[in-house]
Amino acid sequence: MGRPAPTQKRVESMSNGPEVLTPRSATEAIELFGDGGDTAIVGGGTILVPELRLGSARPARALMLHRAGLAGVSKDGGRLTIGAMTPLNALASLADPIAACVSHIADLEIRGQATLGGNLCARNTDAPRGDLQGVLIALGASVRSVGAGGERTEPTEEFLANRDDRLVLDVSFDLPSAGAYAYLDRAHTHEYTALAVSAVRTSDGTIRLGANGAGPHGLRLPSAEAAAANHAAAGAAALADVALFDDAIASAWYREKTLPVLVRRALDQLEDAA
Amino acid sequence: MSLNITVNGTSRTVNAEPLTPLLHVLREELDVLSPKAGCQNGGCGTCTVLVDGEPRRSCLIPISAVEGAEIRTVEGLAPPGQLSTLQEAWIHHYAAQCGFCTSGFLMAATAYLENGGSDDHAEIATALGGHVCRCTGYVKILDAISAAARGDSFDLTTTAAGLRTTIKGVDQ
Amino acid sequence: MKAVGARLPRYDANEHVSAGTRYVDDVRIPGTLWAKALRSPHDHAEIVSIDTSAAEAMEGVHAVVTYKDVHKNIHGHIEGLGVPGDEPLLAETHVRYKGQPVAAVAADNEELAVRATEAIKVTYKELPSLLDVRKAFDGDAPQVHHWGNWYPHFEGEMDRRQIRKGDIDKAFEDADVIVQGVYRPAAIEHIPMETQVCQVVPEAGGRFVVYSATQAMYFSMGVVAAHLNWPLNKLKFVGGTTGGGFGGKVDTATETITTLLAIKSHRPVRWRWTRMEEFLCSSTRAPWHMEIADAVTKDGWILGRKMLTLHDAGAFARFSPYGVTKHAFHHTGAYTIPNLEFNGFVVYTNRIPTTAMRGFGVTSVSFATETHIERIAQTLGMDPIELRMKNATRLGDTSPNGIPYVDPSTVPVIQAISNAAGFELPAHYRTMTSAMRSGEDLPAHLVAQMGNPEDH
Repeated sequence: MGRPAPTQKRVESMSNGPEVLTPRSATEAIELFGDGGDTAIVGGGTILVPELRLGSARPARALMLHRAGLAGVSKDGGRLTIGAMTPLNALASLADPIAACVSHIADLEIRGQATLGGNLCARNTDAPRGDLQGVLIALGASVRSVGAGGERTEPTEEFLANRDDRLVLDVSFDLPSAGAYAYLDRAHTHEYTALAVSAVRTSDGTIRLGANGAGPHGLRLPSAEAAAANHAAAGAAALADVALFDDAIASAWYREKTLPVLVRRALDQLEDAA
Repeated sequence: MSLNITVNGTSRTVNAEPLTPLLHVLREELDVLSPKAGCQNGGCGTCTVLVDGEPRRSCLIPISAVEGAEIRTVEGLAPPGQLSTLQEAWIHHYAAQCGFCTSGFLMAATAYLENGGSDDHAEIATALGGHVCRCTGYVKILDAISAAARGDSFDLTTTAAGLRTTIKGVDQ
Repeated sequence: MKAVGARLPRYDANEHVSAGTRYVDDVRIPGTLWAKALRSPHDHAEIVSIDTSAAEAMEGVHAVVTYKDVHKNIHGHIEGLGVPGDEPLLAETHVRYKGQPVAAVAADNEELAVRATEAIKVTYKELPSLLDVRKAFDGDAPQVHHWGNWYPHFEGEMDRRQIRKGDIDKAFEDADVIVQGVYRPAAIEHIPMETQVCQVVPEAGGRFVVYSATQAMYFSMGVVAAHLNWPLNKLKFVGGTTGGGFGGKVDTATETITTLLAIKSHRPVRWRWTRMEEFLCSSTRAPWHMEIADAVTKDGWILGRKMLTLHDAGAFARFSPYGVTKHAFHHTGAYTIPNLEFNGFVVYTNRIPTTAMRGFGVTSVSFATETHIERIAQTLGMDPIELRMKNATRLGDTSPNGIPYVDPSTVPVIQAISNAAGFELPAHYRTMTSAMRSGEDLPAHLVAQMGNPEDH
């Protein structure tokens, strides 16, 4: 099927600001994004709008996706597909660990505007961002994206390791038979979660674990998965899978002490949920 | 770009760059001054307005994303000279001190009440958890929203004139 | 007493809930420019050169100001109280904290003002910085100011606020136990919901109207006039509506620079700090370092206190000497300690200058004293509330600086708290009053410190 040419290239420019592209469909968004390159992708805008306002980010182009579709949750048998522009509030009624995680991202107002794609692509600054990364890893989600070299569909952890200049279209995963989310509680709704562990039991009984706040982006915990039969041992094993760091909200030392606890709690919860 | 938004029932035409935050358009272009620029990072709630009935941080929303939307602010909560039950509750329960956070709280609480929110303090705190007030310690704010949720009625006849009378009494 | 306990309406409540209150940022004057500051990126550096030409040449930029534009660049906030100025309005030879303003611009809009500050070229030579107040006295410590790392101008040009009362050596000889503690409350940002903001509007007759969020109207007006060397009648201050202050809006942080920009551009100018500036560049409550050693008897009398206070003023004095003076006068908290040796230093570091915040100078020592009382009680195995009642200030007891208390409230306050908490005080303390000490409440060591409340 041939891809229709964009009917009209909508371009606006701010005074000294980026060239603003506002596609009216997914195909137009893909076309305009092209190979990316110095292009800010504005989903909900909760991260980018303040950065663009006074110049802490000055991309050449801004691709605004609010008219491009790409939103919505669809179910095909046991498989869910979630569009990149789906607001986080729309995920609050899905299965754990995704629902549990979403309820700990910012507050209701921000969750109404922030999107799955934006969260997946958020980068750590002085705190771990992108709470859903570890969740999607645990769910075994695959990410469909476009950019240089065309469309790719790959496991979340592979996408995260190689996500420069990619436009996310959607993520999909098989509904788990059980899920759990263990986290360090936030002092405040505006705080990021310093460390969180997601646990999933897939329909074939496999246990998958993902962590957030334990590395440069969400990470899978394969050593802990291998030891999952013994929850405490899995907690200890998880330390081999992570790259802990100091940031504004927690020290590497603190994360080292709490990661095993969270792995154990997530596995305990998973057992109770099953 | 030129676009239309409806602000408190009135259609307004706006000329703004598409990434301009709604807050900036409301305050600097349309002189709708109740939403405040408290942090402009989504972190405080002083700029919260209703976008098609949903509370949103106007500092985070690009104007082009709300083209055609219905925006409500404190200016539209009640006809001139009148107050909504929530506004009356705010006065009765002393929920405003410096007042800078008040507009954002009122809009978030209005949405909470219109969506059938209860008078339960924990539920209110969950719904409004992102709003920051540095004066009250929040208790009076929770009391005010609770009272409005219950539909309490308030005797606000002790107006500023009443205050002056009382203070005069103190002086004597 | 018709007001206490009565339900009084707030005079401003109606306006607050109905979008009627006009804060400084809500003032609308056509043609208003936006101001931005270029701030130091270094904790400590020498300024080699400042080149504003590129910013001045930008279209839409209407004024750029540096130290050269200020008549009196160094003016102390409390010069009137004998505290000499040490802080430049705009940095000239050195920057001494990260965020210190070096230059400011006024431009057609906020984004352009940001770009104009970026176009100003400043060459710095970085210097070692002092960030830990405990290292300020080391021989090899980085020097914050050429005269040293602590404020040298207390009365009589003393380098500290000093208190000597009674016979401290005898108190420590007579003690059964010496109880020591170190207390280090951290800096706190006030975080008013309204950031620092002002608008300045030139009037045709040459007067400038300053819309200010200050907590201290006439004080701020005096500070602006002093920097400009103007009579007060060339300024009209409009204030009184402040979106939270808590002490953080007494420093005249914006008014003078904005007025300079309005003078130079002949246009109205608004300067509203970002939340980031508020966190990183606005003054905070000071961090304090307090060391206490108390001479204590087994039965719970505090005979004497030795105390060392290092007040981390940040890079400049501002109100710190005043804060440390209050701190010194309150350094026994709500209790009577007859023999004292107190040394309090205003120490400079390459941190943000500190300022007032709710009980300026006193909250720090209250925290230290109350925590120390608990420590003494634990050491003695004594009930901490009894310990407090025993040593509570009473009528005729004297403060650290020798003032007889005329209305001490420690006793009734602790009784009220005990009642509210359901804690039953021993009979002696239940019936105790604030009346002058006598009998078992007046041991020999408290006789000499007694004063006459009539002398207050």
